[in-house]
Amino acid sequence: MENFTELLQLKILLGGMDLRFNIETILMTWIVMAVLIIFAFLATRKIDFIPNPFQVVGELIVTAMYDLTKDALDEELGKKYFPLICTLFLFLILCNWLGAIPTLVEPTKDLNTPLALGIMGFVIAHYSGIKAKGFKKYLKEYMEPVFFMAPLNIIGELAKVVSISFRLFGNIMGGAIIILVVSHLIYSLILPPVLVAFFSLFIGTIQAFVFTMLTLVYISVQVK
Amino acid sequence: MLFDIQTTISLAACVGAGLCIGLGAIGAALGEGYTAGLANEALCQNTEQSGDILKNMLVGQAIAESAAIFALVIAVLLLFMDMSSNTYLTAAALAGAGISMGFGAIGSGIGSGFPGGQCCLGISRQPSVASKLTTNMLIGSAVCQTPAIFSMVVALMLMFMDFGNMPLLPAWAALLGAGFSTGLAAIGSGIGGGLAAGESCSGISRNPETLGQITTTMLVGQAVSQTPSIFGLLVSFILMFKTFPETSSIAMAMALLSAGICMGFGGIGPGIGNGLTAQGAVKWVSRNVEAAGELTRTMLVGQAVSQSTAIYAMVISLVLIFVM
Repeated sequence: MENFTELLQLKILLGGMDLRFNIETILMTWIVMAVLIIFAFLATRKIDFIPNPFQVVGELIVTAMYDLTKDALDEELGKKYFPLICTLFLFLILCNWLGAIPTLVEPTKDLNTPLALGIMGFVIAHYSGIKAKGFKKYLKEYMEPVFFMAPLNIIGELAKVVSISFRLFGNIMGGAIIILVVSHLIYSLILPPVLVAFFSLFIGTIQAFVFTMLTLVYISVQVK
Repeated sequence: MLFDIQTTISLAACVGAGLCIGLGAIGAALGEGYTAGLANEALCQNTEQSGDILKNMLVGQAIAESAAIFALVIAVLLLFMDMSSNTYLTAAALAGAGISMGFGAIGSGIGSGFPGGQCCLGISRQPSVASKLTTNMLIGSAVCQTPAIFSMVVALMLMFMDFGNMPLLPAWAALLGAGFSTGLAAIGSGIGGGLAAGESCSGISRNPETLGQITTTMLVGQAVSQTPSIFGLLVSFILMFKTFPETSSIAMAMALLSAGICMGFGGIGPGIGNGLTAQGAVKWVSRNVEAAGELTRTMLVGQAVSQSTAIYAMVISLVLIFVM
């Protein structure tokens, strides 16, 4: 029961640096990527007026996500950021669902995945902010309402990264721990599939959507 | 020490269990009462829908109850688990687990009551969208439970992780502080998330065509309302996983305990405040859906400002942990 904090790690010493790789997380991320690439291939292989089933699903997801992006940004910017937002959503939702399959684990259960995606979103949002407004106006926003609030504004921006990544991590990790403990206590009778359906599928979907939407509105706050 | 180890541990387990279910019962009862009250109003307005409204009230109450059930599970575990490790630290961890889950269940219990009640009212107003309203209520109140789930995770970690090799003197305060931090910070976030979810049910019943935008705005608003409880979780994790050097002075221990309490209390206000902002945004999205993008941005900027107090609390508690 104490093993939920242990990780399978590959340690490499390179020029005095101690590099560690979480093999399990990398493997699971590759599985997700492979599934996504196969799905994309099947959905776009024969694009037809009478679509095949994969194309239907693909079109549904793409139009729904495009409408969301367009609502938050505008027509022009929406087209620019839509591929990022849609990919992020598909990647996260598959990551969160992966835990429902026995022996596989969610890559998002490892803090490194959400943190990396959170930092990515932060960098993209601020880069687009600087590009849209110019560096001077971007810097000026930190001086509001008065100049000595700047350190707290900077901490506030950094706290966004913490909150967005810990939200995903906490929900997925929390679900996994609760499933583990409850299954152990009731000798894995009846309840675990229900818990998996709730935490992996339901909460996983909501949290993937929330992460994507927050990345989108952070970009939208910066560019407007 | 006054007592031997076994007595201290069972003492802490009893105190923890009592606090856990005693505090944990507050929120769920309030939330369920609110739901039932609004269900009565809904019945009075539209008697023909009594079956739907009753069913919906019971579903809403069942979800609000789940926070109290989490607390019950932790309390039963505290009372009946065989604790394998026996140091004085285990006692602190058990009391911390009870505190975390007890306080943590308050907010989610109250919060989950709002969508349940508003959903009943919505069905009486607009019976044709009853199933969409129920789905939206289920999503909203499930997200409300997130702070309670965070508290439960911290409670379970405190109970089952092995803290054997930590020095007793500062570490007991760190474990108690970890309980306070997540538990107290979850109160505000739970209530705040509930405010947004309740308003979204009301908005959908007024203007069912805006369903998609309302649910999206609600989820973003709820997610930001939960940020203070995430800060609480972060401080708890730091307190649990950082190894502290052994000291003989009481100052270090007190700094760690107050770090947890500081983050905990600091998270209550911003959680509710962010929820109020989200409630306003959801309300006006349902009335003027063309402005949804603008409203979401304004909501986010407003929440960022209201959240700054939680950030002050986090900065101070990190200073207490790392500098003092």
